[in-house]
Amino acid sequence: MDHSLFRAVVPYVVGLVLAAVLYVYAGQIEYTPRPGQLGPAVWPQMAIGLMAAACLFEIVRKLAGGRAETRGIAEILSREGEAEDEPRFPLLLVGGIVLVTVYAILLLVLGFIVTTFVFLASFMYLGRYRNHGVIWATSAIVTILCGIVFLRVAYVSLPRGTTPFDRVTDAFLMLPGL
Amino acid sequence: MLDLITQLGIGFVNCATPINLAMLVIGIVIGLLIGVLPGLTLVMGVALALPFTYRMDVTASIVLLTAMYVSGTYGGAFTAILFRIPGEPIDVPMLWDGYTMGRRGQAAKALGWTLVAAFGGGIISAIIMVLLTQPLAKFALRFSSPEYFTMLLFGLSSVVALGRGALADALISLSVGVLIGTVGTDPIYGAYRFTFGSPLLADGIEFLVVMVGAYGVGEVLSRLETGFASKPIEKIEHARTELPSFREMSAVKVPFLRSSLLGIVIGIIPGAGATIASFVSYGVESQFGRRKEQMGTGIAEGIVAPQAAATASVGGALVPLLALGIPGSGATAIILGAFMLHGVQPGPQVLVTSAAMVYTIFASLFLGLGLMCLIGYFAIRPLVKILDFPEAIVSAYVLILCFIGALSIRNSVTDLWLMIGFGVLGYLFERWKFPVAPLVLGVILGPLAEESFKNSMISFSNDWTVFFTRPIAGTMATLTILVLLLPLVRKWRG
Repeated sequence: MDHSLFRAVVPYVVGLVLAAVLYVYAGQIEYTPRPGQLGPAVWPQMAIGLMAAACLFEIVRKLAGGRAETRGIAEILSREGEAEDEPRFPLLLVGGIVLVTVYAILLLVLGFIVTTFVFLASFMYLGRYRNHGVIWATSAIVTILCGIVFLRVAYVSLPRGTTPFDRVTDAFLMLPGL
Repeated sequence: MLDLITQLGIGFVNCATPINLAMLVIGIVIGLLIGVLPGLTLVMGVALALPFTYRMDVTASIVLLTAMYVSGTYGGAFTAILFRIPGEPIDVPMLWDGYTMGRRGQAAKALGWTLVAAFGGGIISAIIMVLLTQPLAKFALRFSSPEYFTMLLFGLSSVVALGRGALADALISLSVGVLIGTVGTDPIYGAYRFTFGSPLLADGIEFLVVMVGAYGVGEVLSRLETGFASKPIEKIEHARTELPSFREMSAVKVPFLRSSLLGIVIGIIPGAGATIASFVSYGVESQFGRRKEQMGTGIAEGIVAPQAAATASVGGALVPLLALGIPGSGATAIILGAFMLHGVQPGPQVLVTSAAMVYTIFASLFLGLGLMCLIGYFAIRPLVKILDFPEAIVSAYVLILCFIGALSIRNSVTDLWLMIGFGVLGYLFERWKFPVAPLVLGVILGPLAEESFKNSMISFSNDWTVFFTRPIAGTMATLTILVLLLPLVRKWRG
């Protein structure tokens, strides 16, 4: 199997395996059956069946070197406007996923204010922007604006952080004039 | 008719409250900005705004989202004409005649044509929306669960068949969305489905988390992988709009009317939104227009046709949403989500129970169109200026809005984790060319379809033929099969 065919088939194989696992899992849903009524697993199993059938169809079609796939009408109409392939930077993507994950981890520890400030600046650097003054200034301004709007005006319950970082949130909430 | 005009008049009065007017202006400006920015899509923008409507009145939130939706169909034309950067897929046809006209030194006139087309197409579609919604809703009052199920099935199939991407991929995307919609406690048996022992999953997955994750985080990750490589833009000091004369407008009245009506019809069909309207309308003009040979050389018809159809599709798309509770596109799915967040289920009953709200939304569309053109006319330079913003900065802000949106749903970090997960899923969908819209529609419409399916089965003793033997349900089921066969027929005919 050549590399491009392998890459084309992988998503559907993953989908098929996932469908099989979920189908078995759905069959184990615990409930008390009622006569003449469909159980709670029927609907999800129908969706899983559709997913498995579509995956299987695509695997067979691709392996058999089938003709071009059937596409939605919008795709046919708009293909002319599609952008050409752009260069890709997988490390940037991995960095982005790591950053959002770290944000979720640190949010409860550092609190919304500190985590957001650090995240904004880090993401801008990751996105290959290098104007240091703009990065730190806009990060600070947007963090303060979000803090005012969501913590002080809309009263969204955003994480305060654990000691000693919660003091930053407390200090922010007590700032006069905000 | 008199009753309708009275209700609409009351709608205008309700729309003139400070909060509704403020939401209208904010929605129009944000929609225009989203249209201008190539990294932000219209649906993504509407999805990002949704969490912030939580604490708002339902009418104000729908006014905000609808205003964003309508102006988003117009803003992208600025950058398509001036810089050859289509802000939205809708604006790709604008490159062929709009940009070409601009290159001939008539960019201001090209922008004038888009303004006239957007305003005129939008107004016609708003009038038709007002006239059509109530009769359709009255007709839909006859529906029982089999009719409702087949209607939902038709909506979901249309999204698969008419949308972007391979048909099989769209079906997979839809199935995944429907499956996500089943997570939580089963409403009939109280059984836990796919909760994996998590108490938070027992309450189900909020569709908002899926939407914001897949559209917002997923899109940013996709753009980040390309290194935020945007084309450099030219100077914009001379950007201005020059309206065409009455005589010039009179010369294109037929293409304008044809495109507006086409846009409305395409908007009404579930699954076919502004993008399809824009492309189809341009195609029809190229095949049947009086100056079809000159299309693509920078003529007014090539600008009027896609723009009028795109904006007209908004009013069309709101008809099935309000009268039947069926969203046909990503943006209307999110607007449906906003209704549901506030405990309002659009459909035949909404015109009975919440007529004032519906007519306020209608009135806001008329006012919004006028406002959109005024802002577009006078503020084109500052609007386009936003392209100077580096994409890394804008994307960082978008991510923070996504995070806040997820955190504000249930004040739980678990929702943040789920949203990041759906963001990665959205990226993978984008990477492997799976369409995201069926996923989102599956999450929203899946539970509604399951409910009506189970009710049908209970009411008709598990008799599946009920979906084919009742006249309306049978018609909808046949239409569903036909719409799924449509791409196959197109392929077969080459």
